[in-house]
Amino acid sequence: MKVAGIPTARVDSHQLGLLGSLTHGESALPVMVKGGERTGAEVVRERRTFLGLITTGLGLSIAAFMGFTLGRFSIAPALSAAPESDWTVLGPLAEIPEGKPTNHIIRVFQSAGWGRFSAEQSVWVLKQGERLAVFSSVCTHLGCTINENAKGFGCVCHNSLWSSEGEKVGGPAPRGMDRLEYKVEDEVLKVRYQNFKQGLADKQVAT
Amino acid sequence: VISMRASLAQAYDWVDERTGVKTIVRRALDEPIRGGARWSYVFGSAILLLFVIQALSGIFLSLYYVPSADHAHISVAYIQKAVPAGGLVRGLHYYGASALIILIVAHLAQTFLFGSYKQKRELLWMVGGILFLLTLGFAFTGQLLPWDQEAYFGTKVGTSIAGEVPVVGRLQQRIMLGGSEITSATLSRFFVVHVFLLPLAVMALVSVHLFLFRRAGAAGPYHTGPDARSDRFYPRQLFKDSLFFALVFVSLVAVATYAPAALGPQAKPGSDFLARPPWYFLPLFQLLKYFPGRLTMIPTLVLPTALFGLLFLFPFLDRRRERHPLKRPLAVAVFAFLLVGAGALILLAKRQDKTNPDYNAKLKHQEEVARVFLKTEFRPQEVNNSLSINRANSKDSPDSGAPPPPAFIQTCALCHGENAAGSDLGPTLIGVTAKPNRTREDLLKILNDPPAYGLKDPMPGSFPDLSAEDKRHIVEWLVNINNRESGSLIQ
Repeated sequence: MKVAGIPTARVDSHQLGLLGSLTHGESALPVMVKGGERTGAEVVRERRTFLGLITTGLGLSIAAFMGFTLGRFSIAPALSAAPESDWTVLGPLAEIPEGKPTNHIIRVFQSAGWGRFSAEQSVWVLKQGERLAVFSSVCTHLGCTINENAKGFGCVCHNSLWSSEGEKVGGPAPRGMDRLEYKVEDEVLKVRYQNFKQGLADKQVAT
Repeated sequence: VISMRASLAQAYDWVDERTGVKTIVRRALDEPIRGGARWSYVFGSAILLLFVIQALSGIFLSLYYVPSADHAHISVAYIQKAVPAGGLVRGLHYYGASALIILIVAHLAQTFLFGSYKQKRELLWMVGGILFLLTLGFAFTGQLLPWDQEAYFGTKVGTSIAGEVPVVGRLQQRIMLGGSEITSATLSRFFVVHVFLLPLAVMALVSVHLFLFRRAGAAGPYHTGPDARSDRFYPRQLFKDSLFFALVFVSLVAVATYAPAALGPQAKPGSDFLARPPWYFLPLFQLLKYFPGRLTMIPTLVLPTALFGLLFLFPFLDRRRERHPLKRPLAVAVFAFLLVGAGALILLAKRQDKTNPDYNAKLKHQEEVARVFLKTEFRPQEVNNSLSINRANSKDSPDSGAPPPPAFIQTCALCHGENAAGSDLGPTLIGVTAKPNRTREDLLKILNDPPAYGLKDPMPGSFPDLSAEDKRHIVEWLVNINNRESGSLIQ
């Protein structure tokens, strides 16, 4: 195609500044002065480089702004979400069997963005006279669900074993079963349900 | 620096040998712009980029949005009020729709005035026309998604209009609604069309539009003299395009920041709401007023179809080679008439709402309610939670006894709930009589002069619409339901 009006389409529509250099792999830097004289071709080239720089700058600014905004929009709520740890009623103390671990389903609340949901969680309660223990049923290894077995507790996912008092007996689990805080008010057992980090030798609340 | 550039160039060569990317980029950037770069050519690129912004913001909005009548409104309120940058992302999407329509009209006007639909560009023009319709489809389906009063009643009117079409109307309306009325099923349908079908269609047709454009080449100015210069797309035209789009983008961000996108209280299907369409549907809305009864068909179906058909087929009606607008007086006059006519109808619709005291007061009140709703702090919704189930059976919603008086429904229910159980906007009135200074006499005095009891905005300063009898009915009913709740008598 014949291009009129520009001193030369032969200036190489090819040295076109930043984007142009993408197509041709040549230097994007303007050739400034040659022996104090600038040719018409060089003036055109400079102008193109200048326009190219502004265009690239505008594009990158808008992209960066959108990237930052959408990143904040999608990531910030995930980082600020905090687990709730309220006391949950488990049941009248008198109804809990003596000497044998029993499974109880409790309802705990979870905030999740626009809603506050209630979810069922299972806990194990062991009452031996005055002694009381409430265990989370989440395996300390990788988070499967712990169940009762002949000798105490076990997790079938990777064969971790615990005694009926929640002490680690065998398998890959790094620690004993996680004990949950509890209190007895007006003869009613209440528990504070929490999640703990997995894979650690000591118990740490997951945040 | 030099060696880094050299290795970058090497890497680029490596990719190019395997993809031919250099040729692709070169062909994209070296597109000839006949007659030189111009500001009047900037609209197409801006529309394309704005579609990208709509797609991005839309994808991210759906990170929190729930397309179900139970949760749609609360999830949009969460985005708008609680998510960091949520107001901005939703604002970009909300105002982006208006900006798109403005830019499309500008693009269409430029193409029309320059006669650029001529010289084997008929298909290009027609695909553009379909894209315009699809954009209006986006606007219509997107309106329902927030599930607020405006959304619900706007869609109600829109789908009723679709139902008026002869022969296929009822069927088409049922298919749109997913039943006989607006329900959660309608929301699912609108969501799927808005989020899956229309984007696919737009992506496909934008590709066709661009392909046809590149194939035909830029039409250039309507008269090309012998001394006409020529540019390539890069850098001059691309520079103008990016500067213009940057301006559009900055304006959108500014508007979204300083005038947050509208969101009113959740849809209440039975309530008395004055629905007004968004500005770009106002011309059709205004025409509805002039064609009563069976003639409604004219503004809802006949006129839009005829006008769009005329526009769509225009390249076949005007087949002369002449492109200069002044040498095509009839075409330009018709086009100008339509633009001015649409503008005049918009102004007329706005003016009539302003000058009618009833409408004006109601619209003002609705705006005020929406403003208050946006200002109230976000409270998460309680979901499948035993507490809320219990509550539903006891305190918050008296499910037996006398129904509320009509005056309560009309004046108080929007904020205090139809059963006085409270809402996003106002507190529950159940238990109110147990509070100090809320005897039967006090309640009556409050209705006569709320500020005297220290009640502030959003509680109205007075209730001119309530007669003394209305007020007595409301107070009697409130005292009654409170007595039933507490089981005790209050004098």
